[in-house]
Amino acid sequence: MSAMSVTEGVHATSRDFARQPLGKVGVWWFLASEIMVFGGLMGSYILSRIAAGGWAAERAHVNTRLAVINTLVLLTSSLTIVEAHAAVDADQRSRVRTFLLATVLLGCMFLGIKAFEYSHEIENGLTPASGLFWSFYYTMTGLHGLHVLIGIIINFSLFVAAGGRNFSRIQHRVEYAGLYWHFVDVVWIFLFPLLYLA
Amino acid sequence: MNATHKPGVGYVTIWVYLLILVAAGVAVLGAPVSKTVAVVLIFGVAVVKATLVIRHYMHVRQQPLMIYAMLTIPVLLAIAMTLALLPDIGLRP
Amino acid sequence: MMQAATDAAAHPAHEHPQSFWRTYVFSVDHKVIGKQYMSLALLMALVGGLTAYLIRWQLAWPETPVPGFGWMPEPTMYDGVVPPEFYNALITMHGTVMIFFVAMPFLLGAFGNFLIPLMVGAPDMAFPRLNMMSFWTLFSASTLLMASFFVPGGAAAAGWTGYAPLSADAVFTGVNWGLNLWILALALEFGSFLMGGVNFLTTAINMRAPGLTLTRLPLLVWMQLTAAVLFMLSIGPLIAGALMLLFDRTLGTSFFLPQRGGDALLWQHLFWFFGHPEVYVVLLPAFGMLLEVFPVFTRKPIFGYRTIIVATIATGILSFLVWAHHMFVSGIDPRLATPFSITTILISVPFAVMVFSMVASLWGGSITFATPMLFALGFLATFVIGGVTGIFLGAAAVDIYLHGTYFVVAHFHYTLFPSVFLGGFAGLYFWYPKMFGRMLNETLGKIHFWITVVAFNGVFIPLFLAGAAGNMRRVYNPMQYDFLKHLAPIHQFATYFTIVLLIGQVPFVINFVWSMFRGEPATDNPWHANTLEWATSSPPPHGNFETVPTVYRDPYEYSPPGVSEDWLPQYTPSPLTGGAR
Repeated sequence: MSAMSVTEGVHATSRDFARQPLGKVGVWWFLASEIMVFGGLMGSYILSRIAAGGWAAERAHVNTRLAVINTLVLLTSSLTIVEAHAAVDADQRSRVRTFLLATVLLGCMFLGIKAFEYSHEIENGLTPASGLFWSFYYTMTGLHGLHVLIGIIINFSLFVAAGGRNFSRIQHRVEYAGLYWHFVDVVWIFLFPLLYLA
Repeated sequence: MNATHKPGVGYVTIWVYLLILVAAGVAVLGAPVSKTVAVVLIFGVAVVKATLVIRHYMHVRQQPLMIYAMLTIPVLLAIAMTLALLPDIGLRP
Repeated sequence: MMQAATDAAAHPAHEHPQSFWRTYVFSVDHKVIGKQYMSLALLMALVGGLTAYLIRWQLAWPETPVPGFGWMPEPTMYDGVVPPEFYNALITMHGTVMIFFVAMPFLLGAFGNFLIPLMVGAPDMAFPRLNMMSFWTLFSASTLLMASFFVPGGAAAAGWTGYAPLSADAVFTGVNWGLNLWILALALEFGSFLMGGVNFLTTAINMRAPGLTLTRLPLLVWMQLTAAVLFMLSIGPLIAGALMLLFDRTLGTSFFLPQRGGDALLWQHLFWFFGHPEVYVVLLPAFGMLLEVFPVFTRKPIFGYRTIIVATIATGILSFLVWAHHMFVSGIDPRLATPFSITTILISVPFAVMVFSMVASLWGGSITFATPMLFALGFLATFVIGGVTGIFLGAAAVDIYLHGTYFVVAHFHYTLFPSVFLGGFAGLYFWYPKMFGRMLNETLGKIHFWITVVAFNGVFIPLFLAGAAGNMRRVYNPMQYDFLKHLAPIHQFATYFTIVLLIGQVPFVINFVWSMFRGEPATDNPWHANTLEWATSSPPPHGNFETVPTVYRDPYEYSPPGVSEDWLPQYTPSPLTGGAR
C-alpha cells in the first residue's frame, strides 16, 4: 500500500503534446539515451576500423554463420513480443503468456549461441586482449548481450505475472518491454553487419 | 486502457520481409561488386530492417512528433560525432 | 484534465501512516528525495573543501605539514606532508567530487527533484520509485568513490578527466583499484542522473496543472529540462568510453593504449563530447534559480522570457559543437582548431543575450537585498568574469599559451563555483522556508554571503595572474621551477583566502541546522512569490496540493498594472475579471 504511487492514474493533461501514458514516455526517453551509448561505441568502432585499415584478417575469424542464425532468432523474438502485445490488447491472456515465453526462449537461444561463439573464440586464443578488433567485438557484443539478458529477465517476470490475478493492472508494461526488446533487436541489426558482414 | 494498434501490414508479413532482407544482406557478401558498393548495400539493408522494426513493431507512426524527435536527434548526433572525429581518429596513420 | 482533478480528489493530500524508514530513508516522496540529495551534496562538499585545503596548502608551502592532518598515516601523507602521489589523487578527487557529487546532486538532484513537481502542480514525480532508486544509486556511487581512498594504491590519480594512456593502465599511476572504483562510481552516477532525467522530463511534459502551458512554465523548469536533455544526449558516448577504459585496465583491451594499437585521443574526444555539455548541465539550473529569485526581489517581471528560452535552447545546441576547445593542444588535426574556435566564440552570444536579459530584469526594479538576492547578484557578477575569460581560452591561438595553466583553473572556478555555491545558495536561502517550514536567519545569511564572495575572489583572481605567468596546473610543486618561484606570494595569498572561504561556511552550517529547529515558522508564501510551489503549505504535505491548482497567467506578474498588490500569483483567478486573464 505504501508503495503505491500518488501518481497512479494521473495522465497527460490536455495541454501537453506527448499525450501518452507516463511509462511509455519514460521508456522512449531511456531508449534515446541508449542510442547515444551504442552510437558512441559503434562510432568509435567505425573510426578505429578505418584507422586500422579494415581488420580483414581479424574478421575472418568471426563465425558469420552463427551470427546469421542469431539475427534470425532475434528478429523472430521481435515478432513474438509484438504478438504478445497485440494479445494484451485483445485480452487473450493465454496467448500473451505463450508469446512472452517464446520471446524468453528465443532470447536464451541468442545468448546460448553467443556463449558458444565466445567459448570457441577464446579456445582459439582470441580474447579481449587480442588486439583492437577483438576489444571492440567483445565489448560491443558483450554490452548488447547484457541488454539481452536484462530483457529476458523483464520478459520472464511479465510472463510470470501474466499468470497471476493482478496482471490487468500492469499489462500495459508488455508494450514497454516490447519497446525495449525491439530496441535491443535494432542494435543487433546494426552490430551484425558492422562486425560480421561489411 | 491502451490504444489498439492496427497493424495494417501484418506482423508476420513484416517478419517475412525481415528474413528476406537478412538473406539479401548475406548474399551481398558473395556478389561480384566492389567493396564500397558492398558496404553501402549491406548498411542499406540494415537501415531498411531497422526501419521496418521501428515503424511496424514499435508503432512509431502512431506516436506524436516528440517521439520522432527523441529518436532522430540522438541518431543524427551519434552520426555527426562520428563524422566530426573522422579527421582525427579515422584518418590518422 | 478532469482525470487529474478527480484523481486528486480521490487521493487527497493526506499522510499515509508509514514507518520511519519509509518516511525518511526509503521514501518515494520527491520532497524527501530532494532533501536527501541536498544532504549528500553538502556532505560531499565538505570532502571537496577538505581536498581543496590540502591542495592549496601544498601549493603555498610545499612539503610542509598541513595543519590538522598530522594524523593521516603513511603512505597517504608523511607526518602531515602531502606527497606527489597523494597530490595527484587530491586534485583528481577534488574535481570528481565537486562536479559529479556536489554540483549535480545539489543543483539538479536537490532542487530539480524538490521543485519541478511543485512548480508544475503535480502531486509527485512521474516515477516516484525510480526517483528513490536514482538517489540510492548516487549514494552507492558516493560510497564506492569514498572507498577508493582506502584501497591499496589509493584513490584515482589521473585527473578528473582521466586521460588515457595515464588512466588506461595501472602501471602508469600506481593506482589500481582506486581508478577502477572511480570508473564504477562514475558509471553509477551517470545511471542515477539518467534515471532522474527521465523523471524530470516526463513530469514536466505530462503532468502539468490545467492552464500551465509551456510558455507559462517558470524559467527554472525550462532550465532543468534543458539540462536533463543535454545530459541524456551527451552521456552515452562517455558511458561507452568508461566501459572501454575499464576494460583496458582490467581485461587487456586496446582501446586507448597506443602500444596495444589503440588511440589515446579517442578517450579525450569521448570525454569532452560529454564534458562540454556537462558544464551547461551544471550552469543552466543555477541560472534557473537566479531567474526565479530576481523577479521576487525586484518586484518586476523577468525581461525577455521567450528570448531567454530561445537563447537557452541555442546554447544547448551549440554546446554539442564546441568540445574540442578542450583539446586544442592535444594533437588533434589542426584543421579542427578554427571551426571549434568559431563555435566557442559563437556560444558566448546566447549567453550574452541571457546575461543582458538578467540585467534588464533588474533595471528599474524595487530591489530588496535579502540573502537570496545577494547570492543571485553575486552569482551574476562573478559568473560574467568566468564567461569572459572563457573567450580568451576559446581562441585557439591564445589557448596554446594558456592551456594547462592556472588561467584555465581560475576560469572554470569562476564559472563552476558561482553556479554551485552562489546560485545554489541563492536557491537554498530562497526555498529553505518551503522545504523545512522555517525561515533562515538573515544576519547569518548576509555574513555567509559576504565572506564567501570576497574570499572566493581572493582565491581565484591571483590564479589568473599565475596562469598568465606560465604556472602549469596539476603540478605538485610549482616552486621547484626557477621561473615560477616569484609566484610563491600569489599561491600563499590564494591559500589564505581558501582558509577564510572554508571557515566562512561555518555561519551557514550553524544557520542551516539551528533554523531547522528554532527558525521562525514560515508561512505558505513568505516571499510573496507567484509560482505554484508557494500555493501550498511550507513544507507541502504528501501529495503537495489539497486540490490541483489551475494556472491563469505567466509566472512573473509582479507589480501588474491595476492590481493593488505588487504580485499576482499564477494560481489565483484575476481579481479584475474573475477568470483567466
